Amino acid sequence: MALDHLSRTFSALADPTRRAILARLISGETSVTELAEPFAMSLPAISKHLKVLERAGLIVRTREAQWRPCKLEARPLKGASDWLERYRIFWEQSLDRLEGYLKELQGKEKRRGRKH
Amino acid sequence: MAGSISATADRELVVTRVIDAPRRLVFRAWTQPEHIARWWGPQGFTTIHCDMDIRVGGTYRFGMRSPQGTEHWKRGVYREIVEPERIVFTFAWEDPDGHPGYELLTTVTFSEQGTKTRLTLHQAMFETTEGRDGHVTGWTSCLERFADYMLTMA
Repeated sequence: MALDHLSRTFSALADPTRRAILARLISGETSVTELAEPFAMSLPAISKHLKVLERAGLIVRTREAQWRPCKLEARPLKGASDWLERYRIFWEQSLDRLEGYLKELQGKEKRRGRKH
Repeated sequence: MAGSISATADRELVVTRVIDAPRRLVFRAWTQPEHIARWWGPQGFTTIHCDMDIRVGGTYRFGMRSPQGTEHWKRGVYREIVEPERIVFTFAWEDPDGHPGYELLTTVTFSEQGTKTRLTLHQAMFETTEGRDGHVTGWTSCLERFADYMLTMA
């Protein structure tokens, strides 16, 4: 996944209202009115959030139906999650190696009879 | 080895590890190129380049080669160096044309725990002001629910 896509995904996810909208969409297609219900927010305000999510590719809005339901789009979220996971592995394995290296280093120091 | 990892609520990665070595040695291993070259990167990777100007505002650039022979380069700027307690630096992988990508802020703190050292690595996924607000309801839990959702789709 390209990094600018990731930036868009993370920016879109940076807002609690937008995360709540996504969480709501997990249970299926939903209308804008329904999405707005749990929030003390006007429809235009919700629409703004939906636009951000749409640009980030996190949701799609059907044009066929009159009520234009919103639907969750899986791939970008998966990309963001994979990206985090890659860093996790990177650091875990680097620290494993650091531990091994320091053990070796200290062993050498001891053999030379030096004290730390 | 004792350690834990968590992806906290706002796109941040926290890794902690208790290392059986004195703090001054662990700090040295993070701040001297001859040491870094020996452990940096995942298992099986080799360091092919390591230059670092370890001072506030100084830059670094590391190159490593994967077991499959692919080269990976990263670079950044040191933002804070407090010997032997803390290092803060930016971190960006380069694309194949050498342009740095998405920039992350990494903070590594070293605290003494008896004769051992507790290392905490904190990596912020991005630094927008928007990103700092209202992150208590987790996007992590959002992702978890999402993963469950994916399973039902499979």
